[in-house]
Amino acid sequence: MKLILKDPLAMPLIPIRLFVTAAMLLATPALALATQGHGSGEGLYVHQMSHLFFCFSMGILIYWLKERHLTRELGWRYIGYAAALFLLWSLDAFTAHLLDEQLSIVSSQRIGSWDILLDTQGFDGRFGLFYYYAKLDHLFCAPAMIFFYLGLRRLSLRAVAERRKRERGGTTG
Amino acid sequence: MTLTGIPIFAVDFFGSVLMIFFSLLSLYHVWNLKKSGPDNLMWTYLFWVCVALATFAISRSSGHILKQLLFISGNSDRWSRIAPYSGTVNTFVLIIVASITLFFERVWNIYDGILKDKKALQKTHEELVYINQNLERIVAERTEALARSEKQMAQADRLASIGQLSAGIAHEINNPLGIILGFTQLLKRDESDGSQRYNDLKTIEKHVLNCQAIVSDLLNFARNSPTRKKRVHVHETIDEVVNFIRHHAKLGDVIIDRYYDDETPPLMVDEEKIRQVLINLVMNALHAVGKAGTIRISTEFNRHHRQVALHVADTGYGIERKNLTRIFDPFFTTKPTGEGTGLGLSVSYGIIKNHGGDILVESQPGQGARFTLLLPAAGPEETET
Repeated sequence: MKLILKDPLAMPLIPIRLFVTAAMLLATPALALATQGHGSGEGLYVHQMSHLFFCFSMGILIYWLKERHLTRELGWRYIGYAAALFLLWSLDAFTAHLLDEQLSIVSSQRIGSWDILLDTQGFDGRFGLFYYYAKLDHLFCAPAMIFFYLGLRRLSLRAVAERRKRERGGTTG
Repeated sequence: MTLTGIPIFAVDFFGSVLMIFFSLLSLYHVWNLKKSGPDNLMWTYLFWVCVALATFAISRSSGHILKQLLFISGNSDRWSRIAPYSGTVNTFVLIIVASITLFFERVWNIYDGILKDKKALQKTHEELVYINQNLERIVAERTEALARSEKQMAQADRLASIGQLSAGIAHEINNPLGIILGFTQLLKRDESDGSQRYNDLKTIEKHVLNCQAIVSDLLNFARNSPTRKKRVHVHETIDEVVNFIRHHAKLGDVIIDRYYDDETPPLMVDEEKIRQVLINLVMNALHAVGKAGTIRISTEFNRHHRQVALHVADTGYGIERKNLTRIFDPFFTTKPTGEGTGLGLSVSYGIIKNHGGDILVESQPGQGARFTLLLPAAGPEETET
């Protein structure tokens, strides 16, 4: 808690917890007395917009990293790769939601425990295949997370090594 | 179309496991990063990005794993109830991650500004330390130089006073000496060669001539003797002096080295008198080194001041500190009685001063001595005077 209060850019955790709790209560499907009265597509639109917003953030992060030549250092380069893969993942997830929930071009149904039935609703059958591959989104986000980890590891090891070098230089000087 | 869902389910399940695993590892490393630089704004930024991303990864992945397990175990209706909450949290945290990421530029600008200020501060600090250290050294050097020049001025004043006195006395003595010498020579002419009276008169003549030589030296010291200057290449004069001494003095194991600055220009000096000074200095050096040692004669040209420095250094017994201020005094000598009049350095002093130069000495007891003659270089248009 002390750490959070000292950091000028620290995110206030207490208000976030309160907000999340409130949001969860508001989103409970059983609340038929919700005062908003909007259609049921709001959640989907917000989710889709969050994917687009995330794509934008990752794209701009990649641009900033390149503009400041930070990608010359391996740690930051890995973080750049992670941002690129997260961007692709977000686009992939957006596309999958677009196809099955937003535009209803593809509908999927689980048959048994291991099979799925894909119905392209009269559209081109290739949409079904495209949707199938789009559902493999972890092929983007898992490597993205790995690169993020590698980037942080690199930066951390270097920072620790530099601190030790400074401390050694201080005691011998 | 019916397709096997195994690739999707496997990628979903194992991908989710990897997401959780690597997000926890990322948290570990970002925590170390923040600990290594608690004041580093970039590490603080990365810390919060990582926390938000890890929250999203863990939330989403846990939801996906739970979903697969519930579907496999035939509890898909339970997932229907959980899905909205999971989706809400995922959406919310995804927005948080995207928002925090957008702070990058602002954070970087602040961090960059802090780094630049730190570097500028460090540089200023180093400059201040350098100036402080050098200021002390420069002040010490200047103070020492001031003390030296004050001593030299005091010595010069003293010698000038002695010189005036000496000149007065020399002139007063010179006339009676001249008369004594004249009458002695007259009387000697009337005596036969070899007789007792002739030998006695010859003895008187010899000592009167000695007195006249001393008077002449005193007048040289007082700078009252006339000089005849011409353009002289001092290296040739030094060579002549060294050759003279090699032929007339017993060098034993004494080595005389010469190091000449090739850029040394001619000097406008009385060559005879400069030769006399050099002989004085080299003979003193020979006396100091004894039977074995080194005498080094070197020249140096200072372009900036247009001045030639002539050094005569020896590896002899050196000069005691208490005598350093007195060595140019007339009749001052550390040699045993009868081995010198104590006028050599006084005469040298007078000659060099008469040429517009200076004569300096550095010595430590047991570490030899170094005499330096500073003489102005001849101008390009100077001729004989």
